[in-house]
Amino acid sequence: MASTSPLPQGRWIDVDGIRTRYFEAGSGEPIVFIYGGNFGTGDSASSAYTWSKQIGPLSESFRAITFDKLGQGETDNPKNDDYTMAAVVRHAAAFIRAMKLPPVHLVGHSRGGYAATRLTLDNHDLVRSLTVVNSGTLMPGVGTNEVVLAKPPYPTGTREGVRWVYENYSFDPKVVTEEWVDAVMATLALPKYQESVRKMTVEKLGSKLFAPELAREKRETLQWIDEGRLQRPVQVIWGYDDRTAAVDYGIQLYRMLARHERRALFHVINQSGHFPFREHPERFNALMRRWVPACQE
Amino acid sequence: MPGIVFIHGGVPGITPYASGPHIWGSVLERFQDATAIEVAGMTVDAMTQQVRKLIESKGPCHLVGHDLGGVIALGLAIEAPQLVRAVSAVASVAAAPTGDGVGDFTFAHPPKPLWSRESQRWALERVSYSHHHIDDRLLDACVAAAAKQRPMTPQAYADEFVPSLAKAKARFYEVCRSEGIKVPCQVIWGSHDPLATLDHGLWLYRGIAQRQRATQFHVINRAGSLLFREEPAAFHQVVAAFSEGIRG
Repeated sequence: MASTSPLPQGRWIDVDGIRTRYFEAGSGEPIVFIYGGNFGTGDSASSAYTWSKQIGPLSESFRAITFDKLGQGETDNPKNDDYTMAAVVRHAAAFIRAMKLPPVHLVGHSRGGYAATRLTLDNHDLVRSLTVVNSGTLMPGVGTNEVVLAKPPYPTGTREGVRWVYENYSFDPKVVTEEWVDAVMATLALPKYQESVRKMTVEKLGSKLFAPELAREKRETLQWIDEGRLQRPVQVIWGYDDRTAAVDYGIQLYRMLARHERRALFHVINQSGHFPFREHPERFNALMRRWVPACQE
Repeated sequence: MPGIVFIHGGVPGITPYASGPHIWGSVLERFQDATAIEVAGMTVDAMTQQVRKLIESKGPCHLVGHDLGGVIALGLAIEAPQLVRAVSAVASVAAAPTGDGVGDFTFAHPPKPLWSRESQRWALERVSYSHHHIDDRLLDACVAAAAKQRPMTPQAYADEFVPSLAKAKARFYEVCRSEGIKVPCQVIWGSHDPLATLDHGLWLYRGIAQRQRATQFHVINRAGSLLFREEPAAFHQVVAAFSEGIRG
């Protein structure tokens, strides 16, 4: 992690035997942020740093919390080779319980948007509201990561390769700072992260376990949304220029969610790719500042 | 929050409910320094000039325009950006592109006498998701407004107003694709607006988003054209967040 990171000092908590790193600041209504990506990717690596433009500013009004997901960032890898999204969701729910938080305002981005939604569907008692941000994993329709990000023109795991991936996720490549790349490189360099890369690629757990299990559970998750099982206020926030998760599918997702929930809002932010909260943090944070108290009414 | 000016929609003598400053209802109480102005004129240009005169002394303000009011607000953002801090175009069917759309029968057969209390209640219900916001206060105000307004004749509407709207829209979309609207803009749409689809709102957003970085699109659920009446808390939430976000 870069020394200039605006995140507060990281802390550790045992979550069902998984050593879990988290960051928190502020007091009041808890917001828990879940970032995207998954363990074992060699050309990119998300960590709690993803939310570095939210934790500080939003801690002025709320208790803002983010944590490293199972097998990502500095949190331990899954036990018993359980490299599945279901394990990620169980760990995230167990983290909220271990923190002894009252029902939280959950914010999930990309794969984290799927995890946050599934967590809500499985654990209504833990969640007060849900915010889904540019989630190609959750949306119906065709995600286009492969189209946009296939075969970076740099060696896997290099700074240039990492920068290329995040620049192609973004509307404005200038938002990919040295600090952001530093944070990704720091995660990629961890021996335990390299172990997850080996598990997902060399041992093929990515194709044999993670992807098919996620596909099965995604079908179930969308069915559950369609059946009205979410039962919490929900907002969908979408970066308009995301080439990996088209805004039209964001609208489809919103329509599914809004069919059963009065308090359902949809927001589109212009000139933003996959990370609207990093490209336009002021406007994203303003939406959150107004959303959380509205859910109390 | 800087001054915020609410511009109503509707065309007297044409729209089967009488709009005016009263249409905003209780949502105005949620905003500080809010002013709801009364629009008059037989053409969009005349209406725009009249609104310009009303806001000239206020300093740059956030214009919130409903339907035709959205066209006026966006026109002022083009013509006099020094007077406009931001625009919120609300259920602005008048500003949205139409293409060769299908006929809309929402107001096809209003009960007579037109602009009577019952006829206006019918029209207000027709443009809403739910009838619950239509109370005596609104109906009294609509009846009073209809009695006071100078109705546009069908001929004046066809000969003067409609061409003026087409001209204003053509200028608006020309600016959208060329130099761009110079102030932050958001488009706010009701999920169940019977007068237009959500796609109409999204294409209005897309037009502005071509050249204005600070553009947003929002959908408020279970609301029709009068979304600020049906979901005033959510409406205030979206407008306030936009004001705060662009200030940041």
